[in-house]
Amino acid sequence: MRGEHKQPHRRLRRFGSYLLLTVLAFIVLFPIYITVVNSLLRPIDIASRPPKFFPFHPQWSSYSKAWNDGNMSEYLKNSFIVTTIITVGQVVTAILAGYAFAFLEFPFKRFLFYVFLATLMVPFEVTIVANVQTINSLGWYDTYLGLAVPFLATGFGAFLMRQSFLQVPRDLSDAAALDGYGHWKFMTRVAVPLARPAVAALAVFGFLGAWNQYLWPLLITKDDTHRTVQIGLKQLSSTQLSDINVTFAGAIIAVIPIAILLLLFQKHLVRGLTAGAVKG
Amino acid sequence: MSRHLRRRGVVLALALTAVLAVGACSGSSGGSDASGGSGGSGGGGGGACPVGALDKAKGPVTITFWHGLNQANEKVLQGLIDQFNTSQTKVKVDLVNQTGYEEILRKWVAGLGTGDLPDVAQLEDTATQQMIDTQSVVPVADCIKADGYDTSDIVDRVLERYTVNGTLWPMPFNVSNPILYYDKNAFRAAGLDPEQPPTTLDEVKADAQKIKDSGYQTGFGLKLNPWYLEQWSAKANTYYANNQNGRSDRASAAVFDNATGRETFAWMKDMVDSGLARTNPDDGPNNFDNLFGIRSKVNGMTIDTSAALGQISIVLQSGEGGGVQLGVGPMPGPSGTGGVLVGGGALYMSKKSSPEKIAATWELMKFLVRGDTQATFAAGTGYVPIAKSALDEQVLKDQWAKEPGYRVAYDQMLAGKDDEQTAGPVIGDYAGVRGVVRDAETKMLTEGTDSDAAIKQAQQDATAKIKDYNTRVGA
Amino acid sequence: MTISRRRRREAAFGYLLLVPALVIFGIFVFYPFLKNFQLGFYRTPPFPNLPNRYVGLDQFRDVLTSDSFVNSLKTTVAFAFLTVPAGIGLGLLLAVTAHRKLSGIGVYRTIFSSTVATSVAVAAVIFSMLFNPIVGLLPWLGINPRPPIIENPDLALGAVALVTVWQTLGLTFILLSAGLQAIPDELLEAAQVDGAGPVTRFWRVTIPMLSPTLFFAFVIGTIHAFQSFGQIDILTGGGPYGKTNVLTYSIFSALNPAKGAADPGRAAVLAIALFVITLGLTVVQMRVLERRVHYAR
Repeated sequence: MRGEHKQPHRRLRRFGSYLLLTVLAFIVLFPIYITVVNSLLRPIDIASRPPKFFPFHPQWSSYSKAWNDGNMSEYLKNSFIVTTIITVGQVVTAILAGYAFAFLEFPFKRFLFYVFLATLMVPFEVTIVANVQTINSLGWYDTYLGLAVPFLATGFGAFLMRQSFLQVPRDLSDAAALDGYGHWKFMTRVAVPLARPAVAALAVFGFLGAWNQYLWPLLITKDDTHRTVQIGLKQLSSTQLSDINVTFAGAIIAVIPIAILLLLFQKHLVRGLTAGAVKG
Repeated sequence: MSRHLRRRGVVLALALTAVLAVGACSGSSGGSDASGGSGGSGGGGGGACPVGALDKAKGPVTITFWHGLNQANEKVLQGLIDQFNTSQTKVKVDLVNQTGYEEILRKWVAGLGTGDLPDVAQLEDTATQQMIDTQSVVPVADCIKADGYDTSDIVDRVLERYTVNGTLWPMPFNVSNPILYYDKNAFRAAGLDPEQPPTTLDEVKADAQKIKDSGYQTGFGLKLNPWYLEQWSAKANTYYANNQNGRSDRASAAVFDNATGRETFAWMKDMVDSGLARTNPDDGPNNFDNLFGIRSKVNGMTIDTSAALGQISIVLQSGEGGGVQLGVGPMPGPSGTGGVLVGGGALYMSKKSSPEKIAATWELMKFLVRGDTQATFAAGTGYVPIAKSALDEQVLKDQWAKEPGYRVAYDQMLAGKDDEQTAGPVIGDYAGVRGVVRDAETKMLTEGTDSDAAIKQAQQDATAKIKDYNTRVGA
Repeated sequence: MTISRRRRREAAFGYLLLVPALVIFGIFVFYPFLKNFQLGFYRTPPFPNLPNRYVGLDQFRDVLTSDSFVNSLKTTVAFAFLTVPAGIGLGLLLAVTAHRKLSGIGVYRTIFSSTVATSVAVAAVIFSMLFNPIVGLLPWLGINPRPPIIENPDLALGAVALVTVWQTLGLTFILLSAGLQAIPDELLEAAQVDGAGPVTRFWRVTIPMLSPTLFFAFVIGTIHAFQSFGQIDILTGGGPYGKTNVLTYSIFSALNPAKGAADPGRAAVLAIALFVITLGLTVVQMRVLERRVHYAR
């Protein structure tokens, strides 16, 4: 009796849900969609009225032009190199620091942990004035080192790894000690493998953050040899008077590597995000 | 417990003090020569530019040349550099693209701290006072004197532009100035003579009205460049900054709030308010809209730099149904005995380079201002040749015969008086002053403030900027 | 004997493990932070090879009372107000809508998280096209204000905010979705059995259970809004006449010779202001908002 009344309601509600979902999906996806479309049109078609919403004769040449003349290949390479250095650095320093805070005892441990946390309070923009001067005097202006080194450690990483290491059961560390495991062995053979989800989350998050950096590469690179993909995209967009489809191709090229990475590592991104959030 | 805290507190305090102490040492930088002084004296004799050092060098001397040309123009320059490199064995030039004048200035300033400077760099025409104040360049006048070089082939107005207090600081290289771009088809449709573009501000307004009446959204694309004020002051032969535009002594105030300045601002406001002009920014993603507008039949004409003529022709005349027949005319402006400003860029020689490199740079400079070089460069890029003998070169004659539009910028450069007013202002914080003017224009045009009040405020703010810069530079 | 030696060894090892991070922090976080204070006391020349001039607190006073700083501050706060609530609200809408057991929901969830692959530069380039008055789509749809959107003093900040909200939507969605999924179904079922309708269930059960996540999103979102830079650099350059000149952009402009002769002293003062404001806001949010957060324990 109740069930029969519910059927049309439920179907209506289902339809309503799908409708809402589709509308929202359209809103979210439309900018990317129109960019892909425009990247495949000829410049005159982009300016035509009414606008064209589907590339019936896709001009793939804009992609090769962005890749070669537009130097996107160079920019992607630079981004990969710098981002990888930063990610590896962040993970390594986080593991080392997190281990120290979780498993070792030493004077000023509390204080030093607060020091690590304090770095979270200092937004990067607050440090640029002196950092530019420092990098200049180290001779690292427009080098991979200059782009990567300031970011090789984060307070968040140490915090996350400490939390994760603290979950390692006491019995395990006791047993390892009995077996004669030194700290190094314990770290590499037991603790880190157990904390793998946190390491992965840190890596994904670190990669994403480093890849998307804008202000620092803008300040620190001077030409295409080290320019990263974000600044390269800005460069591309400001020089294309005649071929704006190339700019859009560049934007899509900039998105694809990250999109692939995130598709593969979705889970870890979620875990990284919620590490600070859900449990409060 | 409390002992711990106290100990921690002490350590923290010590650490802080240590960091601050280190900072304090490196903070007050070793002020080299306390600057001060007017727009540059004529630097030390032949010692500053040792033109003979090249002969003593064993083997070729490599110099780094930073340029800010776009990719198309870079090809032309690279061709000339290759020609220079192969024509002799003493100097090898390494051409580096820094993507724009802004970048070069930023990197030069950064390089002042790190020592990472090129031997020669192309900087915008507005950078003169700043470059003097960096105390890091060799005035080209020294090389001219040391080498006994004859500058008579170079157009006087061009030399004047870069001469401050009697000294020529950079070597001029590429000249461009603003010209009028218009669609001849639009003129025809509006009943205007396509071969008679407007030359005065009143004519621009009248023609814009006719274009609008013929069905266009507006008549004129008004890009919010801050340099209209500079250009029209020069054209009307009035001063923009005091101390003779900063050329007899360091500029300490802006003086553009005069009849010409007020006319400039009033004209802009009138055009926009009457719907005869459409504005767009001079930076950011919409900065080409005045040109796109010609193609999309939004506006029939606009003023923009002659340096972009090549690219603009391609863009505007591309595509089916483009329907644009590009016409080029001299920049319209207020009436007066002045002339258009010499714009573009010039080459600065770094003082920090070794004597051989300075001498090598001098050789490069001489090559780049030769008649044949200038002719090839101008013909390939659309820049205006600065050497009078360039007009005798066939390559330039052919180019100008084929595309008479390229000649417009040259002709208007030659026209007009040759004095400090038309040479244009020499200001240290040029970018800051331009920012003030740009904001004042934009604000007036969007918020509808009175044009006289707007330019008065602009002059006040500009003077404040100039004074601030002068204080910080120690003048 | 052996115990204290082992303790010392352990302590040394501990310090050793911390050294890499501490060195990085020392040079690139703490030193610059403190250097700002020192720089703030000097009127700095536009070129690094000229001398500084000590002026004590005058520069602090001059910069912090200047019209330009007050404008930057107002703009930054307005920007935060425009982006954070809208971003979280929209993210919540997406998360709730996608939190259903429907077939094919995975596709929708992927689409909703898609903007996480975009950066501020990509988003700015994408939207610059949409906003362009001549070739853009919004004008064609009829949204064609005079002056055009990113040149419009009243709309420019909103436009940049829109770009920011869109770009962070993916991340917000993922975060809030995870939060939603952590809410035990039994709670909602129990509420339903008690006769609570969907709206009541949302406000009485979902939101409180989600509040730790929402709180986190607000705090992080505000900090993020105060750090926005890339989209402003690409779209408006701080203009028109300073209407989008947020604090980070004013710091950058003070260091950029293309905007005016470089002024590191001024930039340092602005950086300190940014730090104080960000910290202050975070503390305020912690105090005010955290009280409303409902922790399961």
